[in-house]
Order: sequence, then C-alpha cells, then structure tokens
Amino acid sequence: MYKYGGYAGKYIRVDLSERKIRVEETPPELVHDYLGGAGLAARLLWDEVEPEVKPLSPQNKIIFATGPVTGTLFPPSGRYAVVSLSPLTGHWGEAHAGGAFSPELKYAGYDFIILEGKAEKPVYLCIEDDLVELRDASHLWGKDTSKTTDLICAENGDPEIKVACIGPAGENLVRYACVINDYYRAAGRTGMGAVMGSKNLKAIAVRGSGDLKPALPEDFTKFSLGAFERHARGEWAEYIQSTSRTYGTTGLMDSMNAIGRLPTRNHYDGYYPEIDKVGSEEIRKCFRVGHKSCFGCAIQCKYISRIKEGKDARTQSEGPEYETVMAYTSNILNSDLTVAMRANYLCNIYGMDTISSGASIAFAMECYEEGLITRGTTEGLELRWGDGEVTLKLVEMIARREGFGDLLAEGVREAAKRIGKGAERYAIEMNGLEASGQDGRAHKSVGLTYAVSVRGADHLRSLCIIDELGFRGKAKERFPQYDTNLVCDLLDERYKGYLVADQEALFAVCDALIVCKYGVMWPPIYYWEDFARLIHLLTGMEEYADVEETKRLGERMAHLKRMFNIRLGWNKANDSLHPRFTEEAMPSGPGKGQVVHLEPMLKEYYEVRGYDWDSGYPTPSALESVGLGDVANELKKMGRLVTD
Amino acid sequence: MQPKMLLVDVGRCTGCRICELACSWAHEGVFNPLKSRISVITWRKEGIDIPMVCQQCDTPLCQDTCPTAAIFRDGKTGALVVEENRCIGCRMCIVACPFGGFSIHTERHVAIKCDLCEGEPACVKYCPMGAIEYVPVDKVGLAKKRAGAKRLSELLSLVTKGVS
Repeated sequence: MYKYGGYAGKYIRVDLSERKIRVEETPPELVHDYLGGAGLAARLLWDEVEPEVKPLSPQNKIIFATGPVTGTLFPPSGRYAVVSLSPLTGHWGEAHAGGAFSPELKYAGYDFIILEGKAEKPVYLCIEDDLVELRDASHLWGKDTSKTTDLICAENGDPEIKVACIGPAGENLVRYACVINDYYRAAGRTGMGAVMGSKNLKAIAVRGSGDLKPALPEDFTKFSLGAFERHARGEWAEYIQSTSRTYGTTGLMDSMNAIGRLPTRNHYDGYYPEIDKVGSEEIRKCFRVGHKSCFGCAIQCKYISRIKEGKDARTQSEGPEYETVMAYTSNILNSDLTVAMRANYLCNIYGMDTISSGASIAFAMECYEEGLITRGTTEGLELRWGDGEVTLKLVEMIARREGFGDLLAEGVREAAKRIGKGAERYAIEMNGLEASGQDGRAHKSVGLTYAVSVRGADHLRSLCIIDELGFRGKAKERFPQYDTNLVCDLLDERYKGYLVADQEALFAVCDALIVCKYGVMWPPIYYWEDFARLIHLLTGMEEYADVEETKRLGERMAHLKRMFNIRLGWNKANDSLHPRFTEEAMPSGPGKGQVVHLEPMLKEYYEVRGYDWDSGYPTPSALESVGLGDVANELKKMGRLVTD
Repeated sequence: MQPKMLLVDVGRCTGCRICELACSWAHEGVFNPLKSRISVITWRKEGIDIPMVCQQCDTPLCQDTCPTAAIFRDGKTGALVVEENRCIGCRMCIVACPFGGFSIHTERHVAIKCDLCEGEPACVKYCPMGAIEYVPVDKVGLAKKRAGAKRLSELLSLVTKGVS
C-alpha cells in the first residue's frame, strides 16, 4: 500500500538508447511537495535536465504524468500532462490532454513515465500492468495517428488498449508537433510530439487492471458526489447545460467576438464581422453528429463533427475546439467552416498543434500581403487571406515539411528570422510560442497572462475569467478587498496582476492534480477551499487541508516552472508582449482603440511573486517561503538571484 | 410490485465511464473499471459508446448453466445475484450470457455481475447525462414508445408549434 491515497505508487523510467526499463516506487517526498502532473514533472525536469541540453537531443527527457485525481471519481479525472524542454520555444514545455489514456496508465500501476535517450530504431512502449517493454515500431513509422492507434490495438488483439502517439508531424520534427491519444485528444502545445519524434518513440500503449483508493474513502466519495451535484443541480447547472455542454468550447467564438477579443486577421483585430457563418450554432447545426466526454467528467463538452457534403464529405473528427475554429476561420479571414473541420482532421491525424499551425499560416498570409514573401518563396502558392484550399495545402506541407511548409514548420519566430525584412512584426508569438485565441487589448488581464506565461503566448497557465465573462459574484467573493467594478472591467488594468498571480497558482494545482480548467475557470466552480479539501481527502496529506498550505503548494509549482526558464536565461525582458498588442490600437469592435499597458499589471504581479523589477529574478525569501531554498541556491551561483 | 430495470439510453451516453467508477466503488470500495458490473463499450474513432450491463432476463441462461446453482433471484429487486461462496469460477455464465452481463473478478476469480445495488443503482445516481434510468419493467415499453413518438411529433411540429 502506497503512503498516500489516490496514487498508483510506481513509475517507469526508460532509457531508450540503452533499451533499459526500470520500475520504481513513486518518491513519496516528490508527490508530497509537487503533488503530480506538471508540478511533479517540473521538479523532475529541474533536477534532471541541465541548462545546456538541446531540446531535440537524446539528453532531453520527456515525462508523461498523471495526477492523484486521475482515474478516481472526482470529476474530471481523465487528464495527463506531457512535459519536456520545448523544441519550439527552447524553454519550459508543457501540454495536457483528456480522454481515457491517463486513467488507464494509473490502473496499470503507474503515476508517471520518464523517457530519456534516443532509440536506435522506431519503437513504442507497451505497458500491460507489470509487463513493460519496448517494441519495434518500424512498421508504424510514417503512419498517421489514427492508423497507428488502429494497428497497435490490432496487433495486440485488444481493442481496449489506450494509445498516445505521434503522427508524421512528430516524426518530421515539426516544432509544434503534438501527442495524440485516443485518436482525437491532443496534448497540443510546445512541440511535445517533436521530442517524441527525436527519440524515435512512436507511441505509448497501455492497459491496466489495478485499483485506485483514496486515503479517506468515505469522505472522498461523498465530496466527489457533491462535486457532481454542483455541476448537475448547483448554481452553475443551467449555465453548463446552455454553454459548454451544448456547444463545447465553440460557444467562445460568439462570446469572444462579443467582447471584442476574437483573434482576426493574424491578431490584427479582435472582432470578426462574419461571425454568423462560423459561430457555435452554425457548427452545431451543420457538422455535429455525436456528443462525447473525457473520462470521469461532469461537464461533457466534447463533440464529434463530420463534413456531410462536398469533396471532403465523411471527414470526421472530435472537436473542433474554439482555438481550432478561431485559428482556421477568423484569424485567417476564412468564413467557410468546412475548411476548419478539414484542418482539424488533418492536424489530428498528422499530429500537429492547430493553434501554432493556424498561426503560422496567418503569419505567412500577412507576410505575403505585405510583400515580404512572394510566389517565388512559396513555390507558386498565392497566400491570399481566407483561401481555404491553399490553407489546407499548407497544413499538409507543414506536416510533411514539404517546400515552403518546411519553413513554417519551424514556428513563426524562427520563420520570421529567416525571412528577415522585419517579418517579426507579423510573427505573433511571445517567447517562441504562437499566440492562442485571446487578445489583451480587449481583455487586459490576458495581456499579462501571455507576458508571464512560462510556456509563451498562451492562456492556460493563468487565464482570468471572472473579468472576461463578468462573473461579478465570484469577483466579490474572491477579491472582497478590491472594487468589484474594476476587477470585472475588462479594459482596466487595475488589480489584474493580483488576479493573474492567484489564477496562475490555482492552475498550477489543477495541472498537478490533474483536473480540467473547465469547472475551475469556466464556470468558476472549484476554488482554493475545494482543492484543499480534495487533496486532503484523496491523498491523506493533512497539511493541505489548510487552504494557505495548498496556496503555497500552487505558488511553489508556479515559481519552479519560471525558475526552470530563468536558469535557461529568461529574465525581465521575456515578460513582454508582441507590439501588436502594446502599440497597435485595436481597429474595431468593443475593444476599439485599446492597447495593453503591461507595466502596471506586471508590477502587481512581481509584487505578489517577489520578483525584482529590474531583472525579473527572484529574491531568496520568495523561493524559500515556498520551500524552494535549493533552487534559490542554484540560481544564486548563476547570479540570477537578487537580495531581499 | 413490478420489478425495475436499468434502461440505457444509448443516444445519451457520452462515454465518460463515471458509471464504471461509481459501480466499482459501490461494490468493491475501489476505483477500477475492470471491477465494475457495467462497462461502456467504445468505438472511439467512430464515436460510439454503448453501456453494457446484465438485463436481468426472465429466463436467465446463466442461471440454467450454473452447475452449482450459485445464481439466484433477489426477492426484493428481482436482480439475478451471484452467491460468491457457491461460485466455482467455471465461467459458464460468461459463455451463456448473450450480452456480456458477467465478468470474472480480477482477484477473487468469481463471477461478478450487476445486482441493482439493492434497488438504488449507483450508476444511475452518478450518470451526468441521465443515460441510465431505473424504471419499472411494466412501464418501460410505453415510455420508450412515448420517447419515439416525441421525436416523430417534433418532426411533424405537433408539439413545438401552436400549443400554448
């Protein structure tokens, strides 16, 4: 019996170069201090991946981590994290996905897998309870993610096997290749699929039959039942039913356009006049054929979509999510939803992030319009805004690294560098990661979220939603010390640094448990008190019953991810935004005329975190107060610690 | 009193498998889908999810084939229940059942199946989609006819239009 409840109790370490597999007990002190998921992976990466390691070298390590909630009754419980040094950004890489792969890994008996080295030939890791072995994957290399999953199930004679794999994009080291599990679920961002590809690791296949037990079973189950009740009959029941459960994330197309932050024309604008053609009701009416869910979820926001007519008829995939629809409609000025459906399908089977691939195409279209690239550069392709055919062609060229696609496969930061002529003006990225579907000009706090996100221009480390969607009740309840009107004012920078810091620590706990951010931010059901109670009842770690201690846990993990980047050379200059958000006023919509004033928000954020205003480095007390004294010592030796 | 049955609405199931967690918890005190008496069978690529569970047949083939008479009908719920200390683990019930109503317990190696939780099925309580109902057997035929008729009536706009 493992020391703490909820955990499987073991982990797998694979040296791909030596073909060595070791199974060991999950270190109790590691889960005590970092819980699981991305938190635990942060500590492993800090301890084991030295700053001089190159992302696509055998020395880099890749971690697949579940959390204590995974596979249990607390909703939702189907997610896992993939963490590595990112080949897209060169710093902290982290991606998450739902589905059923993660619980299966827990039932097989493992909390996480850490892989290092590089296999001589393509392999896949096969796990069935105590049996853990590397198998030849030569026959799978080159196959798309769907076919790969089919073949692995077929050759093992077991349709219940859960597979996480890469497609051709990962094999071709497309810098934003992703990991796809359960056919359609993408651990999408920061190029985790390329890390797998660089290691000749095609897939992880898993079947498990073991038990999971909470530390305080009766109370935990009662608490979980209560969580279901809060989704089904509580104050948010109707909201969930009419938004996420009915439209999935695509409902955000309409609501984001309504507040003027639906990225349009490569993030030039935040308002898309043709929203009616690409809105959530249109998607539901024209494409939806089935309702789906991740494992153990009480929200159930997943859908199966199918193109019903035309030359791509019968194209079917799960999704598309809001981010994909945004990336392949408004942000490239395309109002034909079938293009987004097809792009979603292609990205899933090739194993490629829809956000970064769509953003790369938007970047190329703007460069083409501005004359920075011509038909000579693109080998005859005319990159006109909204051209669906060219867009879909580019998706495949990127995944295969063919022609001009080879350049876009590097991500927009590198592509802009190679194009030159000031192309970085149109490369809407921060710290190497292409911007996702937000715009700080019409939602100020997300400007800060992007600037300080450890993985680059991305919302999922600290997106604040009480201001975004105007949850005034929650604003009052959570931040009674601040003026609720200002907290909820999308266009006002005041207090947003405090909100973002709070949300960042909260999300760090989500990503360690692991629970989905739906139910935490949208709608805002779970908060600190819930996680404090959850961790205590599930794991039996009594100290976390104290809300302050759970907050300290969240802060510890948030700090550590940043310190990983600081050790790689990150400093204050990295906490910045693309000039499109800070210098170019929003052209239209509710955010018209707005730019992001980062400084006041950043000041608040630094104040909470204890970072030095000039350097962005931490003070010793900031790190020591969350139990990261050893991290402070290492940074001190590098001269990246300031005095208190 | 008429017995009640688990009625699965396949169209509502999304494949979240919360029923499996609730069931394994209720019967075994652990979370483990393999110890659940109900299983959602999934064709993930095609997007099909179908929960499978014992139908509590009136003429149970499992009971007929059981060589030790370990399967009996519960007087209160009408569920077919396995008396574990009589079960010899011969798996004939698995062979006989046309619906996969039985599994073999991964550790105790006895037959396990749905026992309707003494009249309060855990799967029904937890299903967020209302895809599993516990309904009286004599009402189920008419209830399904009404559900089918409702779809037809919507097609014919008899319900949605013209009635205040």
